[in-house]
Amino acid sequence: MVMLIQTPPEGIYDELFDENNRVRPSCRMLEDWLIKSDEDLLAEKRREADVLFQRLGITFNVYGEDQGAERLIPFDLIPRVISASDWQRLQAGLRQRVQALNRFLFDIYHDFDIIRAGVISAEQVFANPQYQPGMQNLKLPRNLYSHIAGIDLIRHNDGDFYVLEDNLRCPSGVSYMLENRRMMMRLFPELFAQAPVAPVEHYPALLGETLRAASLRSNPTVVVLTPGRFNSAYFEHAFLARQMGIELVEGADLFIRNNKVYMKTTIGPQQVDVIYRRIDDDFLDPLAGNPDSMLGVPGLYAAYRTGNVVLANAMGTGVADDKAIYPFVPEMIRFYLGEEPILKNVPTWQGRKPKDLSYILDNLPDLVVKETQGAGGYGMLIGPKATKKEISHFRKLLKARPDNYIAQPTLSLSTCPTFVEEGVAPRHLDLRPFVLSGKKVQMVPGGLTRVALKEGSLVVNSSQGGGTKDTWVLEDDQC
Amino acid sequence: MLSRAASSLFWMARYLERAETQARLLDVSLTMALIDVPEDREEQLSVPLLVTGTREVFDELYGDITPQNLIDFLLLDDRHPASVFSVIRSARDNALHVRGNLSADVWESINLAWMELKELRHKGVTESNASRVFDWTRERSHVFRGAAYGTLLRNDAFHFLRLGTFIERADTTARVLDIRHRMATKSLEGHPTQSFFEWTALLHSLAAFEAYQHTYGHNIEPMNVAELLILKPDVPRSLHACLQEIADLLEQIESGEARRARRLATSLYANIRFGDREYIEDRGLHEYLTDFLARIERISGQIQKDYMGW
Repeated sequence: MVMLIQTPPEGIYDELFDENNRVRPSCRMLEDWLIKSDEDLLAEKRREADVLFQRLGITFNVYGEDQGAERLIPFDLIPRVISASDWQRLQAGLRQRVQALNRFLFDIYHDFDIIRAGVISAEQVFANPQYQPGMQNLKLPRNLYSHIAGIDLIRHNDGDFYVLEDNLRCPSGVSYMLENRRMMMRLFPELFAQAPVAPVEHYPALLGETLRAASLRSNPTVVVLTPGRFNSAYFEHAFLARQMGIELVEGADLFIRNNKVYMKTTIGPQQVDVIYRRIDDDFLDPLAGNPDSMLGVPGLYAAYRTGNVVLANAMGTGVADDKAIYPFVPEMIRFYLGEEPILKNVPTWQGRKPKDLSYILDNLPDLVVKETQGAGGYGMLIGPKATKKEISHFRKLLKARPDNYIAQPTLSLSTCPTFVEEGVAPRHLDLRPFVLSGKKVQMVPGGLTRVALKEGSLVVNSSQGGGTKDTWVLEDDQC
Repeated sequence: MLSRAASSLFWMARYLERAETQARLLDVSLTMALIDVPEDREEQLSVPLLVTGTREVFDELYGDITPQNLIDFLLLDDRHPASVFSVIRSARDNALHVRGNLSADVWESINLAWMELKELRHKGVTESNASRVFDWTRERSHVFRGAAYGTLLRNDAFHFLRLGTFIERADTTARVLDIRHRMATKSLEGHPTQSFFEWTALLHSLAAFEAYQHTYGHNIEPMNVAELLILKPDVPRSLHACLQEIADLLEQIESGEARRARRLATSLYANIRFGDREYIEDRGLHEYLTDFLARIERISGQIQKDYMGW
């Protein structure tokens, strides 16, 4: 049976169809496959993918659910395509943005130039709960703070990409990018024979290179530090450790002696030089952060301060990906690099500014309101989709702690055809490329595409029913 | 390598070996119960409980020794740690812990076993389809071994995994030999016609029936059976074969200083390698095996102390 494909609603940018409902030139190779495909065959491929993912154990744990409850992140077979020219621009923009953010982090822990110049107020930096005063004047190799950054982008109805959020702490999801590609190649090898899709498989090699470059020692010992197998991203931690051929450790596998970090091995203590940590700042060291943390290593912070170990990412990077700092990133790029920002920011109103606040309060039904500290799609209001009760609830929250919130216009996230119950229909999506900073700034083409599976939904987070797609960056648009 | 990872690999392999043993033991006992004289049936069925030391737990949870109760208890019951279900769950838990050290093939072989077992448990197992489940358990064990052998780097992760397999196997062989040898010897006196089946049951439990035929021919002699399963290095489940592997592996494992486990294993290996059937006969098989079990237990404990304890 031939597939029924719902066309996108008007006023929304669709990744596959243009405004006249014609397939975009960059997606031609998908046209035959998708439009003439047999529905039953594709349904069978979907089931096959499910079984394979279960077998691989690519499951995640949802917070608030029974421990041990393992769920699959829904994987959608229809890839999301990015043209070579779009990617060229994205790549340049991402490189520029992450460089500026690392410069900013160095600055706010050393010279405070940007504050002195009056671009950002001292209060906004120093009073930020993510600011780590202990990081001041600590010398880090190559002055790098965020070695691994995940930048969330969306495509607006003007066809342009906008940065929605920077993730500079422990961005996750890269294993899905890699496994989705592996799955697509396994299920549809013939598609890859026709389309010039840029490879992503070398990500673990680049990550390993980045982590080794984080230390100035020659041939440093690098480990991945995980909170353990009940963490929602444990699969990814194990996956990356295996792919890089390095140890996956938990806090209890490490100990500190004379301000040096060692792991407990079968042949005795072995010193660790670089820790790719997938544990939040506060849980890294019970002596310095949360005293109840069982995940961290007592004394790690002191060892870090002594310079005997490198953490990737550094401590205190959270201040730069905070939603209250986000509006200043374009200014940072101008300030540190003397360049015009290549990637756009979403216009943002800040609750802390009285004028912005009154605008937010007057326009709540049209705006998206976010907590400056929130993550994972929790603690946000999507005005146009909210009930009156939710809006009045947020009005109270905003009045009580205005500096806790920012607001943005409701963006029309672009859509892409996606398998749903009724067939194939447009669903909203975003994109998270992973940017690695070592000796140089590198990334693999593409990133993780997340898709909101509910009709009309704009929330792509996996914890709230989002799925993923393979992301195809074309090597060449002329085919 | 990480001590915790070594420990998880060691236990993961022990549990998987245990799952296979459980299936073999139960399979043989159920078959034997069909051909045994009625008064011996209960003793026959209780062998897997004796080998695994779960008789008390069984009595508490079930009471009556019937084939179906045994199947429920030893295959699927999650209320005690010795059932195939619990054992494979523990193996998978350990595998999850060391996923960073496992090849995708090894991990998938274990994860798939766990997924299928949950499905089997959901459907239920009865006397009539039990043998399919035994076959399944053995096959999963073979797939795991094949994946480990065919895809793992020959480093200490591999060595610790293999150590777990052979420590468990040596322990099992000694226990099964001890219990079943006694039963078969007894039947020689009571029911001579029955005894042939008792001896074959012992050999089948340890996958050594064909090996016996090949080595000694059709006539089954009690001391030949003991010799085969203790002293013959070419029988995969013999104590000699297991100890040779254990001593070899401990030799290969990277080690800071001379470790005690290595000394204990080498000494036990030498005893078996240069042992003979007269010595076993003089000492008495039961005493010999009791001593062996204590020593293998000490080696296992010492391995954990030397390489995994912090």
